[in-house]
Amino acid sequence: MPFTLRRRALLATAGALPFLPRPSWAVAPSIGAPAPAFSLPDQDGKTHALADFRGRTVVLEWTNHDCPFVRKHYSSGNMQRFQREAAERGIVWLSIASSPPGEQGHVTPEQARALTSEREAAPAAVLLDPRSQAARAYGATTTPHMYVIDAEGVLRYMGGIDSVPSNKVEDIARAAPLARDAMLAVAEGRPVAQAVTRNYGCAIKYAPAA
Amino acid sequence: MFRPMLLTAAILALAAPAWAGESAPVRSERATMTLAAEMASVAPGQPFRIGLRQRLAPGWHTYWTNPGDAGTPPELALTLPEGATAGEIQWPAPHRIPFGPLVNYGYEGNTLLPLTVTPPAGLQPGQSFTIQAQGNWLICEQVCIPEEGSFTLTLPVEATARPDPAMAPLFQQAEAELPRPTPWQATAGFQGQQGALLLSGEDISPQSVKEAFFFPAEWGVLDHAGAQPLQVEAGALRIGLPRGAAELPAQLAGVVAITDGAGVRSAYTVSATPGPVPALPGAAGTSGLPLGQALLWAALGGLILNLMPCVFPILAMKALAIARLSGAARAEVRGHAASYTAGVVLSFLLLGGVLLALRLAGQSAGWGFQFTSPVFVALTGWVMLAVGLNLSGVFHFGGPVGAGGGLAGRGGHLGSFATGGLAVLVATPCTAPFMAAAIGAAMALPPAGTLAVFGAMGLGMAAPYALLALFPGLANRLPRPGLWMERLKQGLAFPMYGAALWLLWVLAQLTGPEGLAAALAGGLAIGFGAWALGSAQGARGRGRLLGRGGAAIALLLAAALLPRLHDAPAPTAAASAEAGSEPWSEAGVAAARAAGRPVFVNLTAAWCITCKVNERVALSTDAVRGAFAQRNVAYFTGDWTRGGEEIATLLRAHGREGVPLYLVYPAGGGAPQVLPQILTESIVLRALEAPATTAGTSPAGQATPG
Repeated sequence: MPFTLRRRALLATAGALPFLPRPSWAVAPSIGAPAPAFSLPDQDGKTHALADFRGRTVVLEWTNHDCPFVRKHYSSGNMQRFQREAAERGIVWLSIASSPPGEQGHVTPEQARALTSEREAAPAAVLLDPRSQAARAYGATTTPHMYVIDAEGVLRYMGGIDSVPSNKVEDIARAAPLARDAMLAVAEGRPVAQAVTRNYGCAIKYAPAA
Repeated sequence: MFRPMLLTAAILALAAPAWAGESAPVRSERATMTLAAEMASVAPGQPFRIGLRQRLAPGWHTYWTNPGDAGTPPELALTLPEGATAGEIQWPAPHRIPFGPLVNYGYEGNTLLPLTVTPPAGLQPGQSFTIQAQGNWLICEQVCIPEEGSFTLTLPVEATARPDPAMAPLFQQAEAELPRPTPWQATAGFQGQQGALLLSGEDISPQSVKEAFFFPAEWGVLDHAGAQPLQVEAGALRIGLPRGAAELPAQLAGVVAITDGAGVRSAYTVSATPGPVPALPGAAGTSGLPLGQALLWAALGGLILNLMPCVFPILAMKALAIARLSGAARAEVRGHAASYTAGVVLSFLLLGGVLLALRLAGQSAGWGFQFTSPVFVALTGWVMLAVGLNLSGVFHFGGPVGAGGGLAGRGGHLGSFATGGLAVLVATPCTAPFMAAAIGAAMALPPAGTLAVFGAMGLGMAAPYALLALFPGLANRLPRPGLWMERLKQGLAFPMYGAALWLLWVLAQLTGPEGLAAALAGGLAIGFGAWALGSAQGARGRGRLLGRGGAAIALLLAAALLPRLHDAPAPTAAASAEAGSEPWSEAGVAAARAAGRPVFVNLTAAWCITCKVNERVALSTDAVRGAFAQRNVAYFTGDWTRGGEEIATLLRAHGREGVPLYLVYPAGGGAPQVLPQILTESIVLRALEAPATTAGTSPAGQATPG
């Protein structure tokens, strides 16, 4: 009977769907491909997923408040200025702390709120990733490590915050602001001049693989 | 009253420039840094070396020019007198410093970073030559501390320079650690995310090269944390290189650090223009098999695949179909055999094509990759259930069995075709002997060759039934249809239910209880749908419509559960942690080998039946466990159930595209021995006893299929 056989063929075709590549096979996310999904709680306990921000440009900033390289950008006000610029343009800025409990950079929700207010930082949210899941999904290696994702959820930039890999505040002025250029390019619909750049900083303290 | 005098004296002493070959140290808990000079005095115009001498506390490290995944190298800014010049720091070969899943390149313990300074020719003996330097360095252990300091070095000028007896040996040792230009021919190449560096030269041999690692000069070109599998044969060595996120430069430059048989480390600068991926010239290359041999082995492997436990349920269905064929017209029999063969071959070609496409897109899909997807596993399980219900008589395909003309028409042929496809999909977790080497060779061939090998595998698997197409008379040898056929059919439903059960077990490993619940619910929906369809087939008019509608709704319900399966979290406790084994990691293996222990690596997956049987029969037995304990073997299990790039890289380095893979690293160092895919206790025990000198044998291309 044609109907039953068609159904069988349909089942067989449906079996082909899982052949589509899954991000877990990939070495690391790549430019032009959909950015890896994540779902993490923020400093107020609210959960955010990448898909929630479809339609807006998203910037991910991996952070560890005790790392000298992160302190370089926060003590000089550079990071806060960058975050405010993003907020003014309606870009979603997510700071992500991926250190497990006991390691440098780990923050509880209270500590995250306190840090944001005392540093006068302006992220849309600080995401807490104590099992390093998002870090693993994005192949993040240092703090800071910057990623820019466009409104369709495609990864457009990954790499350093700027071009001089030092921990000296004086070097901010003479460095090319690579992440900021990329963020503005994506927000304005222009191509990103340098989509993959060298990221520098302290190594991310990864939680042991589950 | 003495105190201020003492204090002043102390301060003066500390502030005094050093007149010997070393500056005053800059000390911290973690490091003592000084600026050292090779010479106790300098001659006008004669170059000499100075260097940043690092003495680091245990556990702390500084970085190389390419620091790897994180960190920055030390910087030294010199202030020299007028007319003097200085060169760049010469970097000794770094070491790999793993940190969780990241790897840095740098230095621990005591190191000297030398550079050459040339004093002006116009200096007069009796004057002094002062070098000032401002240094900053990042020193890390678990956390990173940026440190800085200034150094002052003052050397007397004399007619001839005098070496400093304390410092000169340090500089000689530093010179020995500097990379030398490579005496060998170097070629490098990449395809997608993988590549290799090939060094050819007379003095390379498995005895002279025990370990080798390539440190790229440019950041990001290679995956710093990735494995670099090494293959050595007489006259050449090949290091597998994993790509990083940055673009490939025009020249691949870096340092190769080689540890020889005596444990002595030497380093060489290498520069090569990237081209096609180089392979070892000898027989032990990963792409070893020539096309003809690969085709033959693929066909043999496919034939043997019919005997593997994965394929048995399909075999059962096929046996039934053949039994049905007895008494049918020759053309009919030919047609069915041809359809089945076509189904099998085309499915293999499709699989090969998908693997190729995924590889080209940079993913690391391996053989059996579809079983890393919970959605696929659940769907296949439901199909098995549906087929089992059909065999049990709950509903019918193409008319009841035994009715004379039940197989007439295109419907029967499409069924044979689909059976062929199904057989291939379910056969993939089992890798028969011969197949693994053939697939490994296939992936290294150009696309046409890859597809040819997969096609040959399909022909091999379909061979027993393809014979029917050639000799339709064979079908007449089978007994005539009768009641026995009905009983056989119902009995054969049980292997199908068994297969569905096995797939549910695999699903449990992949997704845990939530995924399992979704799959079971889907199975329930399928069961209901089957009953509804069966009822429709017996009824007329309204009843028929209701029945078909019910089946359709059941299908939709099952499909609605698929997203649940896709998102179901993996169980937190790692799936197949074999008792007594550690999870595999590059760092773990390196540490065990550094400790001088033999290492046994078992790469397995929950959906790989061959792996599970091997573990039961050969690896979990008392004799083997006892041998592991007695020889202090470090036993690592790499679980590839959900896929993963690191394990895929290791598989590919040994010419394999799928699990299982068994590696035995001998205690003294050297290349690992690869065990056959079908293990027995005696194979494992014999491998453990083998002496350490069989380095260089990676039998991916050899004639022992096992």
